[in-house]
Formats: sequence, structure tokens, C-alpha cells
Amino acid sequence: MKFLCIPCDEQMQTQTDGIMPAESKNISLKFKCPKCDHSIAMLTNKFETEFVSKIGVEMGGKSEVGSGPMSVVGTQLAEGKEELKNAAPTESDLEWTDEAKARIQKVPFFVRNMAKKTVINYALEKGITTIDAKLMDEVREKVGM
Amino acid sequence: MKTYEDLAGDGGSNIVDQVVSQREKLRGRLDKIKHKISIMSGKGGVGKSSMTANIAGCLADRGFKVGILDADLNGPSMCQLLGIDNKEKLNIDKEGVDPSIGALDIKVMSMDSLLPSPDSPVMWTDDGASAVWVSTMECTALRELLADTNWGELDYLLIDMPPGSDRIDNIRDLIPELEGVVEVTIPSALSQHIVSKSITKNNNLGVKIIGLIENMASYICPHCDEEGALFEGDDVKELSEKKEIPFIGRIPFDPRISKKSQSGKLFFNDFKDSITGKAISQAVDNILKSIPNT
Repeated sequence: MKFLCIPCDEQMQTQTDGIMPAESKNISLKFKCPKCDHSIAMLTNKFETEFVSKIGVEMGGKSEVGSGPMSVVGTQLAEGKEELKNAAPTESDLEWTDEAKARIQKVPFFVRNMAKKTVINYALEKGITTIDAKLMDEVREKVGM
Repeated sequence: MKTYEDLAGDGGSNIVDQVVSQREKLRGRLDKIKHKISIMSGKGGVGKSSMTANIAGCLADRGFKVGILDADLNGPSMCQLLGIDNKEKLNIDKEGVDPSIGALDIKVMSMDSLLPSPDSPVMWTDDGASAVWVSTMECTALRELLADTNWGELDYLLIDMPPGSDRIDNIRDLIPELEGVVEVTIPSALSQHIVSKSITKNNNLGVKIIGLIENMASYICPHCDEEGALFEGDDVKELSEKKEIPFIGRIPFDPRISKKSQSGKLFFNDFKDSITGKAISQAVDNILKSIPNT
């Protein structure tokens, strides 16, 4: 799927700070025109979200997280061995509390990278070095994630 | 205004590239495996998994490097059949997940290897997901089990299929170089009726059928080797003739098969000189004859 900014006749670019309400499984992916900066959001329903999540691709481009072995099975199995659940590599120098790690793991893997970047960028802007559940609540409040 | 074709890429997600990359990873893994064979049956309960395990045991006994992909995602049995302890830790690195090692060093990848306890069912996190999405999830799971397992160099990869014939489309797509499928039936008319549909489907799809095995063809008394009928039914050879596929084995039921299976040991390797052991060996001979360069 591609998006075109009609006035500029330019392809819109996926923005990595995607929005992901954790419970409804509806997602909003942001696209921006590189010429006029106009932004739009593509909104998907639960079924469209599920479909993308199950073909093993990631919105916003492949991440280190999604490149791990059995990344879909590992994250989508309701009960899996701990080694499998913990296999996904972590990134960034920021410290994540266990609760924050658990919460980010609940975000479907194909948009988890975007969600992580949103939290990390917010933390860096604020000069925060530890990401905890409170900070994640704050991010959700501010940017709608 | 620009059209779809005028726009390069998809704006940053590179979905096509990601799918291509998945395929390349799978290809890299499969290229190290010489022969891939599916063992299937339209019908459940015909001893297909037990047959897969014992064919693998026979191949390993002949010095081949063998792996088994347990494609029965919701009813995995290979770990149990090959004596793999569920408590074994998974070894995962960037390259993939190491397969479990069963009897005779047979490598196994099964959903059972990934679950935390022997009685854990395969359930996905989306408990409200529709059947369509569960099916899509299973296709992805199968790809990952194949592509993300550190199989290494293998002579044979046997794919133990779930009951039914629906999953063969998936396997054919993932492994276009599949040598073919071995169909398993028991003599009962019902089993043959259902297996005949599976054979027809494979013929229609252009999937090569290596041959038909008649399992539980008779009962062999382990004490006196006397043979008796176990099921009534039409001659399975007639089905193979009617469908124009090779009849590659008539395997009598030996009760020690189920005893060995329950204890995680392979019947074939303890009783290869029994009537049933020899029949399994004969079936393996016929399978190998059908594959070029073996």
C-alpha cells in the first residue's frame, strides 16, 4: 500500500512514531509528505491489524527485534518457553524496568519497533534514562500511543 | 498525478523486501537439506506420526542424517515419540533455534519443543482471533519452524503432516523442491475413502506421490509371530492401482510399536528384524528407490 500527497504529487513516507492503542488492536500509522510536511493517518481495524501481524512483516521497516528467530511464534504464542519469549534482542542504552519491558512486549511485534522508538524518543527529549510504566502512561497520554 | 507504479517502494516499510528476505532465509536453510519428504494421510489415527518416526529411525540406522519437522502444530507428537524431554532448554542464537535431538540423533522441531510443559496446548495470544487469522498464523508458524531452525546439513527432512490434506498447499509453497509425499492409510474402508481424496488432491496440485503405505495391515503376535486381520476393508493395493500410485509397504501392527512409542524409544531400532521392522525397512527401500540420486 502506498500513499500519495496529491497537491505535491509526492510519495508520503511512513513515520516511525506509530500510534498503537494496546487494547483495541486498532492501529494508526502516520504518513508524512516529505515536501509539504502534511501528515495523514492510516487507521486499521482489528482484522486488518491481525493480518499484518501474522505474516511476519513490520511496519516502518524491519527492525533488529523482528529479525530474531521465530519472532512471530515467540511473541504470538500465549504460552511459550521463557527462552523463546526472551530471545528478542533489546535495544537502546536506556534502562527498561521489568514492568515496562512486559508492557512493550504486549504490543504486537510488527509495530513494537515503532512503539519503542516513540517511548525512547520521548525519554531522550526529557532526559530520562529509565523507562518505567509511569513514563509509558505519560507517553500514551501525550502522543496517543 | 503519479500512479502506483510511479512510486518506488511503499513509503518506508518495505513489505515486499521483508517477504523476499523471509524467503531467502528459508532458502538458505533448505539448501543444506538434500531431500524433503512429507508423510501424510487424509485420515487421522492411522499411525502416521509413528510411521514417520520409525522411517526416520530406519534412515538414521542406515547412516543418514535425518530431521523431522512436526507440522502437526496443534497435535505435536514427535518429541514424545523420540524421547525428547520437555524440560530441555531451548538454545537460541541470532542464526536460529537449535532443534531438539531425539533417538538416534534425529533432529526434531516441533511446537512441543517450544511449549513450557508437556500438557501445554498451542494457543495464540489473540484469543478472540477468527479462524481465518489462526490459519494465517499457522502458515507463518510453519515457515518459522522451517526457516529459523538450525537444521544444519541433513540428508533427509521428514515432514510429519497433520491429519487432513489442507496443509499440503502450505508445504508445497514453502518447499517447492519437495521430493513428494508418502500417503498412509489403514485397511478400513473409511480410511481408504478419505485417503483417496488426499491422493486426488495431490494429483490435482501436481504434488508427486512417492507411494501409499498400508499401516496396521494385520496383527502380528509378538510371541508366536502369527498374523491375523486387524481391520476389515478392501485391498489397499487396489486403491493404489486405481489411483495409479506405487504401493510401497504393507506394515503389520506389532503391539510393541505403541509400547516403544510411549517410552520415547523407536520400535524400529530394537526390532528391525521383526516382521514389522522388516516391512518398515522394505517401505524405506521403496521410498529411496523413488528418489533420484539416492
